[in-house]
Amino acid sequence: MGEAQKGLLSVIEKLKGSTEQEVRIVLLGLDNAGKTTLLKSLASEDVSTITPTQGFNIKSVASHGMKLNVWDIGGQRKIRPFWKKYLENTDLLIYVIDSADKKRFEETGLELSELIDEENLKGVPVLIFANKQDLATSSPASEVAEGLNLHTYRDREWQIQACSAVSGEGVQDGMNWICNNIVNKKK
Amino acid sequence: MGCFFSKKSKRKSSEKDERMPTTTTVETTTTTNSSVPLGNNSEEPPKQYSWDKREKVDPKDYMLSGLKDVTVGRHPGKLNGQQFVIQDCENCNIFVFDHAATITIDDCVNCRIMLGPIKGSVFFRDCKDIKCVVACQQFRTRDCKKMEVFLCCATQPIIEASTGMKFGCFQYFYPDLAFHFKDAGLSIFNNNWSNIHDFTPVSGENNWSLLPESSKVLDFVPVPDPESEFKSVRISGDPERSIVPLTKGGRRKDSDESCLFVFFAGEYTTANARKLIDEVTAKSFVLVQTKEVSMRPEDVKRVFQNSADELVDWITKGPVIALELSGGGVVDACRSIADQVFPGTKVFVSENKNSSSRDVDNFFNFADMQMGL
Repeated sequence: MGEAQKGLLSVIEKLKGSTEQEVRIVLLGLDNAGKTTLLKSLASEDVSTITPTQGFNIKSVASHGMKLNVWDIGGQRKIRPFWKKYLENTDLLIYVIDSADKKRFEETGLELSELIDEENLKGVPVLIFANKQDLATSSPASEVAEGLNLHTYRDREWQIQACSAVSGEGVQDGMNWICNNIVNKKK
Repeated sequence: MGCFFSKKSKRKSSEKDERMPTTTTVETTTTTNSSVPLGNNSEEPPKQYSWDKREKVDPKDYMLSGLKDVTVGRHPGKLNGQQFVIQDCENCNIFVFDHAATITIDDCVNCRIMLGPIKGSVFFRDCKDIKCVVACQQFRTRDCKKMEVFLCCATQPIIEASTGMKFGCFQYFYPDLAFHFKDAGLSIFNNNWSNIHDFTPVSGENNWSLLPESSKVLDFVPVPDPESEFKSVRISGDPERSIVPLTKGGRRKDSDESCLFVFFAGEYTTANARKLIDEVTAKSFVLVQTKEVSMRPEDVKRVFQNSADELVDWITKGPVIALELSGGGVVDACRSIADQVFPGTKVFVSENKNSSSRDVDNFFNFADMQMGL
């Protein structure tokens, strides 16, 4: 028996045979939150030279007849109106927050609260990555959770996970929650 | 859905939890509140990560906030790869002579800023009348006005809702700067300073342009006042001493003849590349662009075509450093320099001026794809 799969591969291994043919995850958050770094980390790719996303990035993994697609959409203010175009048939939302950018906590809280109201995301589980925990001014996940009023989400499964996408620490814990929560979800 | 962080949130249904908005305060000792739930279905106890176990730092040590009319910043070794935050400064001269993880600059007006190499992103927001020298992996602005930036950026710089933005090639030297580039994981040869992506272009106008080629960095960001705490830092703005080679980038070239020159990995690759730059610029040729990138065997054939077979072994030793040079007679000059100055070194030089522009395109298109640009 080989070592446990990591990142996207761990999700697709868990999904094997238990749900639909294609699973769709959407990765959102403000610009500079660390979404693309997270995506590349999940795909076990080099994270040392990442360019600001101008449109979107997509990673797909396939295994045993199952396909997992992860969409990483650019988060600049100008292009956030396009987010909703990517939400149809989403099985899980990953929302990434720069925990060390206090200046923009209000802005990210507003964007998340608007997303949660989207029809296409009704009942869809959400994993919030409180990213950049490696930085000096970062707020702990509990503080971020409080500020976002996550405890008021009554209509869906949710989890906040502290992480550092550049190092990978905390990322697999988030993926393990995803494995458990996509399987349980029935369309 | 109510939002604690917001001063005015949208209310869309009566089931939402009504809450009074409050501002978030920065506390000097942040402790994890174990009574705050981190999920609504997980039964596992919260895990401990490296950031929970490490010694707590005071965020204020990593911030410059609300300063006016002063010269301020950080000496080498004082930031040591951590985050830095600059906000609400007016008429300041700010010098960060160290490498950083990431830097945000908010609400600053009329400042001159020097930022040492940044491993991640530099993000300017709501700033006006800024002159700066910056080296980073990502360069971002939003809602900025009138900035003049001498830039070394590993990826494509982006601006949003910003106007009057002007860019030039990074020119700077201080004694530890080369080490700081290494500490930040940045290559002096990967500099996309001249091709900016604008997320909010305006028809008929340009939100950004290039600084005049003759622009001298110290005219924009002068050396620290001799009375300041930085008087002992030996700075040079001389392009020939600059840690980052001066490249023409997207500026229009005077000549159509170009040459590709590639150094393969070895002990002195960086020094050799710098020596080549000195040799060609002394002969009045122009350095257009440079790249430091790893190649795989399959890339070699596509890029070097006829010369591929003998080069395949050389790319496994480490990244190559490639340079595009321009000027009438540059191919002959480069071939001659390769023979005379680098006789024992493994290099690739374009064969002739008919094939050289294809060499250049093949290489730099490959490099851009490789680096995801």
